[in-house]
Amino acid sequence: LLHTSGSTGTMASGMQEKQYTPSLLSFFIYNPTFGPREGEEEKKILFYHPSDVEKNEKIRNVGLCEAIVQFTRTFCPTKPAKSLHTQKNRQFFFEPEDNFWIVMVVRNPMIEKPNKDGKPPTVEYQEEEILDTVYGAVVRQCYSMYKLFNGTFGRAVEAGGVELLIQKLEKFFYRYLQTLHLQSCDLLDVFGGISFFPLDKMTYLKIQSFVNRVEESLSLIKYTAFLYNDQLIWSGLEQDDMRILYKYLTTSLFPRHSEPELAGRDSPLRPEVAGNLLHYGRFLTGPTNLKDPEAKFRFPKIFVSAEDGYEELHLIVYKVECPIMSVSSVSFLASVELTRDFCEQLDSLVGPQLTLLASDICEQFTINRRISGPEKEPQFKFIYFNHMNLAEKSTIHMRKTASVCLTSVHPDLMKILGDINCDFARVDEDEEIIVKAMTDYWVVGKKSDQRELYVILNQKNANLIEVNEEVKRLCATQFNNIFFLD
Amino acid sequence: MDGGPQKPAVGWENGMLAPVDRLRTERADSPVPGLVEGTEPGAGQQSAMFVHAQSFEDLTAEAEEDVEREAELDESGEPSEDLKVLVGEETIEKQHNDDIPPERGTKEEDVSSEAWRSHRKHVFVLSEAGKPIYTRYGTEEALSSTMGVMMALVSFVEAEKNIIRSIHADGCKVVFLAKSPLVLVGVSRTCQSDKELLRELQYIYYQIVSLLTLTQLNHIFQHKQNYDLRRLLAGSEYLTDNLLHRLDRDPGLLLSAVTCLPLASSARDVVSASLQAAKAKNLVFSILLAGDRLVTLVRKKDQFLHHIDLHLVFNLVGSSSSSREGEGWTPICLPKFNTAGFFHAHISYLEPASELCLILVSTDREDFFNMSDCKQRFLERLSKRSAYQAMKEALKCPSYSVEQVGIPELRHFLYKSKSSGLYTSPEFPAIYQSDEEQERMMGLYQDLHSHLHHPTRPLRSFYRCSETENLLAWVTSGFELYLCFSPLGTKALAHSAVNKLLKWIRKEEDRLFILSPLTY
Repeated sequence: LLHTSGSTGTMASGMQEKQYTPSLLSFFIYNPTFGPREGEEEKKILFYHPSDVEKNEKIRNVGLCEAIVQFTRTFCPTKPAKSLHTQKNRQFFFEPEDNFWIVMVVRNPMIEKPNKDGKPPTVEYQEEEILDTVYGAVVRQCYSMYKLFNGTFGRAVEAGGVELLIQKLEKFFYRYLQTLHLQSCDLLDVFGGISFFPLDKMTYLKIQSFVNRVEESLSLIKYTAFLYNDQLIWSGLEQDDMRILYKYLTTSLFPRHSEPELAGRDSPLRPEVAGNLLHYGRFLTGPTNLKDPEAKFRFPKIFVSAEDGYEELHLIVYKVECPIMSVSSVSFLASVELTRDFCEQLDSLVGPQLTLLASDICEQFTINRRISGPEKEPQFKFIYFNHMNLAEKSTIHMRKTASVCLTSVHPDLMKILGDINCDFARVDEDEEIIVKAMTDYWVVGKKSDQRELYVILNQKNANLIEVNEEVKRLCATQFNNIFFLD
Repeated sequence: MDGGPQKPAVGWENGMLAPVDRLRTERADSPVPGLVEGTEPGAGQQSAMFVHAQSFEDLTAEAEEDVEREAELDESGEPSEDLKVLVGEETIEKQHNDDIPPERGTKEEDVSSEAWRSHRKHVFVLSEAGKPIYTRYGTEEALSSTMGVMMALVSFVEAEKNIIRSIHADGCKVVFLAKSPLVLVGVSRTCQSDKELLRELQYIYYQIVSLLTLTQLNHIFQHKQNYDLRRLLAGSEYLTDNLLHRLDRDPGLLLSAVTCLPLASSARDVVSASLQAAKAKNLVFSILLAGDRLVTLVRKKDQFLHHIDLHLVFNLVGSSSSSREGEGWTPICLPKFNTAGFFHAHISYLEPASELCLILVSTDREDFFNMSDCKQRFLERLSKRSAYQAMKEALKCPSYSVEQVGIPELRHFLYKSKSSGLYTSPEFPAIYQSDEEQERMMGLYQDLHSHLHHPTRPLRSFYRCSETENLLAWVTSGFELYLCFSPLGTKALAHSAVNKLLKWIRKEEDRLFILSPLTY
C-alpha cells in the first residue's frame, strides 16, 4: 500500500550495489485490554499498517510487543520498554494513554550486494545507523499530531466506542503515515523546536498591539499566533500546543500552499481590496475565495489544552504574501462555528494591517541578513536548541518541508550530533563534548542550563585549543556568550 | 639458546646480541601522536606476544576462525560419561571448591524484590532449551520462568528469520547474545553501549567454554537438549562471578590488553631468558604473573596467546585464594586459541608468601611432572641471579602514582600500545579510592572507549568536560590514550598533556612494558 522506502543505487567496483535507507515496515496501535481472552486477540488491534498483512501475522507481531513490554517490567516495573533492536529492524513502543500502545517498526538501512551465478543477493543490515532518540520522537510526534486534530484516544472511545476510535485512527494515519519521511529524520525531530524570528522591540510591540486589537474586536478569537515565513514571532498558546501546531503549519500547511499550482490557485500575489484599502491577505484554511458566493466556511478543528482537559477550536490561518518575498501569517483559534460575516470582518480588519506590518518585518529581515554577514560558506555550521522556550536554530538544515529535509552535512556527522545529544540527556549537569571524526571534522556540543548547542567545524588541521577558540567566537557573536563553560 | 648463568644470552633469534641500540635510534624520545604502529611507546621490538589484536573488535567478530594450530591439543576427552570424570574430578573446581568467595553467599535473594531488580548488572546464561545455567544474582531455580521467557523471545524473533539484539527502557537495557548452544542475557543499568555489554557477555561465554570446550558443550546438547549444564559447572560459578567483577573494574578487559609489573628491563630480560631456558617438548606458554600484572610471557615460536585467553588465565589464578603452596594441575581450554581441546596448566607460586605465580601451559595431560621439572629448572637458574631479588623488590611497588608524570590536574590515565597489546596506568588517586568511585571511573573510560570504537562512526578523539572531571581520549594507529583531569584542567592543558605523557612513557617504557618478548 505505502512504500516509503527510498533506494539509491551506488556503484561499487563495477558491481551494482543497492543501498536502502531506513523505511517504515509497519505501524500499529493496540490496547491489550480490548481482547484479553484467547481467541479474541484481533480485538486488541485498533490500527494496523500495512492493512493487507494477514490477520495471524498482525496478532503475532502485537503479541511480541506485549511480551517485550511485559518482560521488561521484570526489571523495571516503572519504566516501560521503549525500543527493541533486532538485526533487521527496530521497533519503537509508546504508551501515550493507559493501555494504548503505538508501535512503529523501522527497517534498518541495508546494502544489497549482487551475487554471481544467479544466486539471490546478499543483504547486509546496517544495525547502528538508526538513533533511538530520533525515531522515538517521531512516534511521539505521530500521537501529538493525531491528538491535535482528534483529541485523545480515550475521548473517541467515550464518544463513540472502539468503533469510532478505529474510524478516526484509520482516517488520520492513512494519510499521515504517507508524510513520514523516515530517511531524513534527525536531531531536529528530537528537539521538536520552534524557529523564532528575531525582531527589534519596536516592531515586536507593534505586532503585539495588533494581536490585542484583533482579539478585542473579534471576540470569537481565543488564541493567536503570528509567524513570518516559517518563523514564529508571537504565540498566545501553551508551549506544547504551539510546538505541534507549528510543526503542522511549517511542514504541512504552508508547503502545500507555497506551491500555488498544487493549491489550485493562480498567482497568489494579486492584491485584494477590502473597503478602500489594498491588501494581500487570504485564508489558508476555510474559504479559498471570499468573493465566491459558493465559498465554504469550514475550518479544521483542533484540540488544545485547557484548564479542564482539552478544548475544541477552529483553526483559522490567514496569510499575507507581498510581492517583495515577505510572508506573514496569523493563526487564530476560535471556538464556535464561523460564518461568512465573521470571515469578511476578519479579512477587512486583519488584511490591511497585516500587509503594513509585513513590510515593517521585511525591513527587519534585511537588517538581520546584513548582520549575519555575506552569504559565503562559513567555517562552521550549528544547531541551537533551548528547552525552556523551545527556540531552535539550525544553519545545517537548508530547507525543511513536508517532503524533504535537506541538510548540508554528511549524515554520519548528523548522527554524531545525535550521539552527543544522547550523552547530554543522561545527566542534568552542564557538559561540553568535543570530538574529532575520522573524516577530520570537529564536532562540538555544549549544554548549559537548558540550552544545547552543536557546532560542526570544517577545520581539519585545527587542534583542540583552536577549535575551542572558534566556538567561543561563535558564541560571542551569535549567542551573546550564553555558553560560558570552559 | 643454551646461555648459562655466566653467559647472559639475550636470546635474539637472529643471533644479534645488541639489536636494542639500533632499534633505540628509531624510537624517538619525544614521540608525537602521529607515529605509526610499532614505534609507539611500549611497542615490542621483536614481535608481538599476543595474537595481533587491534582492539576489542576482534572480540565481537562473529567468525570463530579455528585456524589449524601447530600445537597438538588434547582432544581425547570423550564427552558424555567420561566428561564427568574429566570435568568433575580434574578441573579447578577440585582445587578451589573449599574457598568459595563470599559473593556466592548472597545468592539467596528474593528475585521479585526491588533490591534484586536494582542490581547494576545482571547476567544470565541459559541453554537453548531455556534451562537456567547461571545467574549473577539470585538462584537459577527461582529464575527459571524468567529465563524461559528470555528463550521464548529469542526463538520468536528467530522464527521470523531475524535476530534479537536488545531491549531499551529508560535507564535499563537488556542485551541478548545467542552463542549456540548457549544464550546469554545481560540486563544493565549502566550507561554502557550495547556493544560493550555484548563484549562482556562474550567474555562470559568464553569463560564457560574454557571449562568445557565448545566441542563437549555441543556434544552434550546434541545428546540431550534439555541437559542441566549446572551439573557440570557446579562449583565453578565463582569464576564467572569473579570475571564479571573484573569486567567492572579491570581496564585490561576493556582495552583488550594486559599490564605489566614495572621492572627494569635488564631484570625482566633475565627472568624471560630463564623461563625460555626451562623449556619442554609440550610446553607452549610460560607465564609469570605478579597478581594481576604480567612479569613476562615466553611462548613457543609461532604460537600466540590471545589477550582474552590470557585474561581467562588471570581470572582462573586470581579467583583462587587457596594455599599458595604446592602445585596445581588443571585442564583449561583457551577458546581463542582452539575451542575444541584442552591445554593443561601447571600453576604454582614461586614462594609460598609471594605474589609471583608461574603458569606453564602444556598440550599433554600427562605432563605434570615435566612441568614441575621446568619450574624447578627455572627457579634454580633464576635464584642464582640478582634479577630475582630485583623482581621481588619490584613487587613492593607494583604501581606508580600519577604525580610522577608531572602533569598538573591529571588524575589518572590509560595508555595502550596497540602493537604489543600492553597498557600502562598509574594507581587510582585518593579521590577514586572507594569501590564505587573506581567503578564510576571505569564507567567513564568505558564510555570514552565506546565512543572512539563506535561500530560505524569511530572517532579520532573525544573530549568531555563535566562538573566532576575533564576527560580526553585519543586513538591513533599506534596507541590509545585516555586521560582523566580534574575539572580545573583546561583544554590547553589537555592538549599539551598528550605530548608530555607520550614523552614520559617513552622514557619509562623499559620498565613499564615488555619490549623484548622471547620464544622457545
